Amino acid sequence: MKSREQEYKEIFISEALEYFDALNRHISTLEKNPEDDQILAEIFRLLHNLKANAKAIGYLQISDLSHKLETAFELVRKRELTFSNEIATILFDGIDLLGELITNVDDPNYKILDESLIHNLDILADKTSSKNLTEVSKAQKVNARNLSLSDLIYIQIKKLDHLLNLVGELIIDRDRIISLSKDLNNEDLKSVSSHLYRITEEIQFSVMDARLVNVGSLFNKFPRIVRDIAQAEQKEIQLDIIGQDIQIDRNILQIITDSLLHLVRNAITHGIEKGADRERKNKPRQGNLSLSAQSDRDNVLIRLSDDGRGIDIPAVKKAIVARKFLSFEVVDDLRESDILSYLFEPGFSMAKEVTEFSGRGVGLDVVKNAIDSIGGRIQVHSEKDKGTTFTLHLPTSIAVKGALLFEVEDGYYAILLMHTDSVVSIDKSELHEVGNMLVANIKNETIPVIYLREFLNNDDATMNLGSKARLNGSVQNIIIVIYNNRRLGLIVDKLYRQQDIVIKPLNKPVDNIEIYGGVTLLGTGKVCLVLDVPAITRYFIVKK
Amino acid sequence: MNTDGISEKKEVNREPSVHLIVFKLGSEEYGIRIEQVKEVTLTPEIARMPKTPSFIKGVANIRGDIIALLDLEERFHIGSPESSTEIVKEKQKSYTLVLEAKDFTIGLLVREVPHSLTIPISRIEKTPSFIQDLQINDNYIEGIGKLGDRLIIVLDIHKILTFEEAELLKD
Repeated sequence: MKSREQEYKEIFISEALEYFDALNRHISTLEKNPEDDQILAEIFRLLHNLKANAKAIGYLQISDLSHKLETAFELVRKRELTFSNEIATILFDGIDLLGELITNVDDPNYKILDESLIHNLDILADKTSSKNLTEVSKAQKVNARNLSLSDLIYIQIKKLDHLLNLVGELIIDRDRIISLSKDLNNEDLKSVSSHLYRITEEIQFSVMDARLVNVGSLFNKFPRIVRDIAQAEQKEIQLDIIGQDIQIDRNILQIITDSLLHLVRNAITHGIEKGADRERKNKPRQGNLSLSAQSDRDNVLIRLSDDGRGIDIPAVKKAIVARKFLSFEVVDDLRESDILSYLFEPGFSMAKEVTEFSGRGVGLDVVKNAIDSIGGRIQVHSEKDKGTTFTLHLPTSIAVKGALLFEVEDGYYAILLMHTDSVVSIDKSELHEVGNMLVANIKNETIPVIYLREFLNNDDATMNLGSKARLNGSVQNIIIVIYNNRRLGLIVDKLYRQQDIVIKPLNKPVDNIEIYGGVTLLGTGKVCLVLDVPAITRYFIVKK
Repeated sequence: MNTDGISEKKEVNREPSVHLIVFKLGSEEYGIRIEQVKEVTLTPEIARMPKTPSFIKGVANIRGDIIALLDLEERFHIGSPESSTEIVKEKQKSYTLVLEAKDFTIGLLVREVPHSLTIPISRIEKTPSFIQDLQINDNYIEGIGKLGDRLIIVLDIHKILTFEEAELLKD
């Protein structure tokens, strides 16, 4: 993998070449129409950017030359220099030299052939001698007709999306061919299909790789944002950014952009106290905010921590009761993590109590939905007066997801591994009927359990989830899913394997049926429905 | 107007006509404009989709598209003429008409091979007003075509699935 420096360099060069092309275009137009202020301003902007970019990355020759050209053009703009033939030639030469510097940026042996060109520019820029252009020496032409194309290309995300979809199709067909070749037991077919497997694997990897961007491309926007919000709130805040190099699918980054902004804003406005309050609590005046990214197998963890006042648990408890989510007695027994998970409930966000006391409820359901939509998870951890941390577990890539396949009444279903906690087999006798639900004691935790066959096949009126009598056989296969800190057991008829799947969205009119997150095609060509764990969990929360 | 045997004569072509794909539901013939029909295919394997109305038989993979398959006889509560006999009940709806509407693609399950038919627009009567008044299944009927002694009910696919039903599917 390329180093960050190398990558920045490539980006710089490709941008610089683009600027160079644009400069050439504009200056030609300017020659025909020297009075066009708009073009002048654009040339000015391009040179200015080029100067700044080159300086930032340490290409001082380029930044110096851009600076000189910029000065010369400023004089043209101020009408202190007329854009005459002679001057145009010098400027053209200057821009050609700029192009040469950019293309030779990597060549340590490169030397400017003719320094007189730079000298000419100096004369131009020097106001006192600007009237006297006789000093201008004939510069040796730089070899400017040497056209070169950039090694980098920009691709529209739309095109990459399309490519990724096609790869998805290809993978489905590949799996199908592999399973056919096993059935047919033909040696040739087997070897061809294993080759196909390797190639598609590589294509998939390449396409996914092409979509990866540095988390930094989002993170680096935050210093400015934090500064602005902090200033508006009259707070002093130090922002630490860690792990900008971590790579993630560009679309995933796009989807979480608003969420992250929201969390950062919340942390500053509601989390971190004013300087004076902090001093009273024996904390440094300056609040600390840290935004970090970290790779974790196929996931990327994005963490936002503040050292503010933390979430006021008693206030959240009150709000849970006030919103009639749970009774007071129940809330009192809840673990802290369970209480915090209510912050993400829709409707809870509007709770005024929370906004006043801790202010962490606003719009968190929206944040959660965005993260759910890409199969991610969000966790919150908070300690009074120590601070709050939000952790986003995000998939690195959207394309292929690990899933657990199973069967319920002759139908194939999948659940994303992201949402599965564990799989257990327990005896029917270990299940207990409690109210209208079954519960089981699994790993010292009482977990509600749903018989999927019953849940899927009966409507609300005839559904009887609390009856053990409806279960088939004595040993029950249970997939324990986890969503928003809540565990739920799903009894399935038959467990299959773990498999990477490509999820296809459902089309109208069945696209808005909540419990399905899409479909996938199995190697056998069968259609497999992907169950949406968040939706199923919500279904039961609402029912209760 | 020269009405007898009009379908055989060339001059008919001068009159605007519609091209329909005609299929049978129950004992009646129904038609859908050919522009709205993407293809007719043998019914693929259907993955049942729990938690949907019973007239949605599930989803199937048709050339890479996952589409919902509808049973219109159930949707319109049309009994098959011989539905009392168990044999017919068991009989598969073995053809699928893939329909493409503006924002969705669906499949309709039919028993017999659908065929195509051109019919002059003048032969399609607007739905009789009393049927509209009765609000039979939300006016999914665009008109009634008459050709000789055949009567073809022309469907408007946009209304096969009414908005309310689509909304209802959500729950």
